[in-house]
Amino acid sequence: MTQNQGLLGSGWSMVSRNKRYIVWFYLLNLALAFFGTAAFSNQAHTILDHSLLADRLVHGFDLGVFAELLARPEFGSTQALSAPAADFVFLFFMATALFLPGVLQGYASTYRLPRPDFFRACGRNLWRFIRLLVLAGIVMGIVAGVLFGIRAPLLKAAGESTNEMLPFYLSLATLLVIFLVMSVLRIWFDLAQADVVLSDQRAVRKSIAAAFRHTWRGLGRLLASYVIATIVAAILLVAGIWVWMKFVPPASVLGAFFVSQLTLLFLLIPRFWQRGVAVSYYLQNMVQPIAVVETFTTVAVVSPVVTEPVVEPVLPNVPPETQAS
Amino acid sequence: MKIRWLILFLPVVSVIVLSLAVMQHAAKAAAPQQPATIVSAATGSMPANNSTATIPDTTLAINSDKPMSERIVHYEIDAKYNAETHIVDATEVLTYHNVTGQALDHFPFHLYQNAFQPKATWVNEAKLMGSRDTSYAKWEDKDYGSEEIKSIEVVGQGDLTTQLHYIAPDDGNKDDKTVIDMPVTKPIAPGETVQFKITFQTKFPETQARSGYKRDFVLGGQWFPKVGVFWHGAWNCHQYHNTTEFFADFGVYDVKLTVPQFEIVGASGVKVSEANNADNTKTLTYHGDDIHDFAWTASPRYKVKDDGVFQGQMGPVRMRILMQPAHWSQVERHEKILRESLDHFERWYGPYPYKTITLVDPEPDSAAGGMEYPTFITGETSWFMPEGLHMPELVVEHEFGHQYWYGMVATNEFEDAWMDEGINSYTEVKVLDSILGKNTSIWNMAGVTMGERELQRVGYIGVADLDPIAKNAYEYYNSGSYAGITYGKTASVLLTLESIIGEDTMAKAMHVYFMKYRFTHPTKEDFLKTIEEVSGKDLRWYFNQAIYGVQVMDYKVLRTESLPVNWYDEKKNASKDDKDTVYRSYVWLQRKEDFVMPVDVQIKFENGETIREHWDGINRWTRLGPYEKKTKIESAEIDPDHKIQIDRNDFNNSYTAEAHGKPARKVSNYWMFATQWVSQALAWWGV
Repeated sequence: MTQNQGLLGSGWSMVSRNKRYIVWFYLLNLALAFFGTAAFSNQAHTILDHSLLADRLVHGFDLGVFAELLARPEFGSTQALSAPAADFVFLFFMATALFLPGVLQGYASTYRLPRPDFFRACGRNLWRFIRLLVLAGIVMGIVAGVLFGIRAPLLKAAGESTNEMLPFYLSLATLLVIFLVMSVLRIWFDLAQADVVLSDQRAVRKSIAAAFRHTWRGLGRLLASYVIATIVAAILLVAGIWVWMKFVPPASVLGAFFVSQLTLLFLLIPRFWQRGVAVSYYLQNMVQPIAVVETFTTVAVVSPVVTEPVVEPVLPNVPPETQAS
Repeated sequence: MKIRWLILFLPVVSVIVLSLAVMQHAAKAAAPQQPATIVSAATGSMPANNSTATIPDTTLAINSDKPMSERIVHYEIDAKYNAETHIVDATEVLTYHNVTGQALDHFPFHLYQNAFQPKATWVNEAKLMGSRDTSYAKWEDKDYGSEEIKSIEVVGQGDLTTQLHYIAPDDGNKDDKTVIDMPVTKPIAPGETVQFKITFQTKFPETQARSGYKRDFVLGGQWFPKVGVFWHGAWNCHQYHNTTEFFADFGVYDVKLTVPQFEIVGASGVKVSEANNADNTKTLTYHGDDIHDFAWTASPRYKVKDDGVFQGQMGPVRMRILMQPAHWSQVERHEKILRESLDHFERWYGPYPYKTITLVDPEPDSAAGGMEYPTFITGETSWFMPEGLHMPELVVEHEFGHQYWYGMVATNEFEDAWMDEGINSYTEVKVLDSILGKNTSIWNMAGVTMGERELQRVGYIGVADLDPIAKNAYEYYNSGSYAGITYGKTASVLLTLESIIGEDTMAKAMHVYFMKYRFTHPTKEDFLKTIEEVSGKDLRWYFNQAIYGVQVMDYKVLRTESLPVNWYDEKKNASKDDKDTVYRSYVWLQRKEDFVMPVDVQIKFENGETIREHWDGINRWTRLGPYEKKTKIESAEIDPDHKIQIDRNDFNNSYTAEAHGKPARKVSNYWMFATQWVSQALAWWGV
């Protein structure tokens, strides 16, 4: 992986070589959601299972009946129902942070990363990732706060306009700007994550600094890659909902479940693609060359035969047996 | 330039350019589009002192050759509107005909715009009970409105301005200036007329309660001193409350409006003339017959469609539609629902006698949408309004319906708001069901549906045990209870009444009520007795609970059982599918709340057979059966024809012997999808 091939292509190559990570994250997402929505589901079954009125939710979807369902006292408050779901959302967030180092390690590997190595990477980088999360949260929170802080008075001023469309267009334009800026920040911390894991960097601040420099240097390529992946995600979401509405009969709960879950599975891909792009960029541009001066008597090198000391980049964390082959 | 500099540069430039553009646009919008001339206080001429003045019997604005109402008042107003200060300076000559049968020694007037002052009752209540339009998180100058009588003269008695004093008949709030009273030096004898010559100034607030300005738009509603109604032996002139609307006598209106020439104007009644003035203003003259209020609007940006004519039973009705430019593509949609509403009301309830109806699409983001004045209504829409979302249709139909239940059947909206808003919500359900479909009249898009009757029901069930329908509008627990009961419960109660007297009888009763009480001020008993008379039934048991009481209805099918008669016979019992097995079946019903009403029950068996039963609902529970059949109960359902709209919980009105998990799984799948998507989105940006 020394050639400076297209980031998107190499990132996609990593994703396609490691599809199992997406599947596992999806299953984790599904399992946690199952528990997070169990309270909602149980209450719905209690009210609907023996009611003929519930039929109006099956053959079509009567919004009035649904509103009446949510208004039932025995259904519980919205807060009580959404709290478990919010807990699930947080759990999935933390689980992503926990298992992401293993994913990055796997992406950087030229072989199928053994399970112990995957979890070793997760464990070794857990505390580093928590520090990264906190720092990213502070930086992104401040920047988002400032951007939305600028946006609010702009929209308010636009609201005073006699052109009714102006607030809408302005809202779109400002959201686009915010999206681009936040994407840059996401790139920055994705590169920092890659550096922390693949350089086995204990000093998180050094990874952040290095990632900052490289975000700036490779901004065009990186941002374009990230934006393309986000557009793909948006297309997948819209297409999934369109297929759901167009082809799944209202009464087909199984069909709706299948299409919705397939959409959610596909929606994971673009983000993993972005991470593949980050790892690819790291390998192409951020790996620190290490001078290795060794003699033929101590290192088993099959070829080529050289007469001078070999100086080449060395991939971190590559098992010795693979090197020998 | 390197790409990264471009990427940094572009957002910064975009933000700067957008900021400048917005600021420039907003600054442009803040001022009228053409230089407005600041007009001085109106000094229009007033009619000469004439103690024998009479109320005109004109019919210019109606399709009738004689007056249709007992005309009590004649308002002649000459008003000048300053588009920069949003102030109206005007003169008003009010001729009042005393038909009360007794001498009147004082006259109270509504000064509605004084409601929008920080210590006024309206604002106090809005803070305390919630408001449809304004939260009053903080008081701002733009919220301020006022209506001041500069002078008042009673013809023949001289200037009585010094006799004016504010009164607060409802809550004693000394800071409330929405009602002013004036004693006359010589009482006005029965049958006499009296003339008041008033000069007043009204300052509009930024739109509140469907009146006021927004940017360069203005809706002139409740903008002039209006005399109270002498009703049931006393003056009825309530303060303006957060949840109340209006009450006034019928009469004739002649109104001159002077506005900047760039304004496009719409108003109640018919336009008589329009003339440009030398000072870049123009004066429009309007005339209204048999109406009890006058409203107007002005904006330089309306697009107008006024070529639509509805051929009514009494004559042609010209439909004038003023649309916002961004909504122009919806003008046909607005005209269609207005025409269909006219058609349904004429066929079902009675003729629309006026020559015009003006539909105004008000300024976006203003609190001026969804309002009714005589022959003048405001709709509500936005630039994005899919065909399947029927909000414009809902608002236009609703506001048009007020032409009947407020405009002609002029009930007291301070005390009996339900007789306008509630009855109107009932007819709204009927009309929209007919035009747009029973279960699709609000929403029919992307496989999702919602009907108007369900909307009314959902509005009611959350506040079912708070207030009765028959209650002063300003005495409800809060604005949510007022809305849920006045609109939602009344509509649901009247829809349920159809199940008792029949849909056709109810339709006939509504027609009789309208024809009998149009151009009068009926009471709640007038309405209820009309229904009893037409149906020939004593309905007090229902009205006492549904109209005057706060009883709540909740009937439930507790359970069903189908047991083999020979359950002890192991051989028979062993074979569940034995077609010769005879089952003894029962159904248990429960009345969970205190509203007592007889109901029908349908029991359906697995072989398709159905049985209809009737339960008087007097006891708390009952058991139906036994039914001995070679089949088991499949389901039992209370109110199988779905005519009862006031049952607080419709889900427990039926019970299926077998559980069906599909509905719950379907809604749970939606919830799960949403939850998973949110979690993925958070992880996308957070990790």
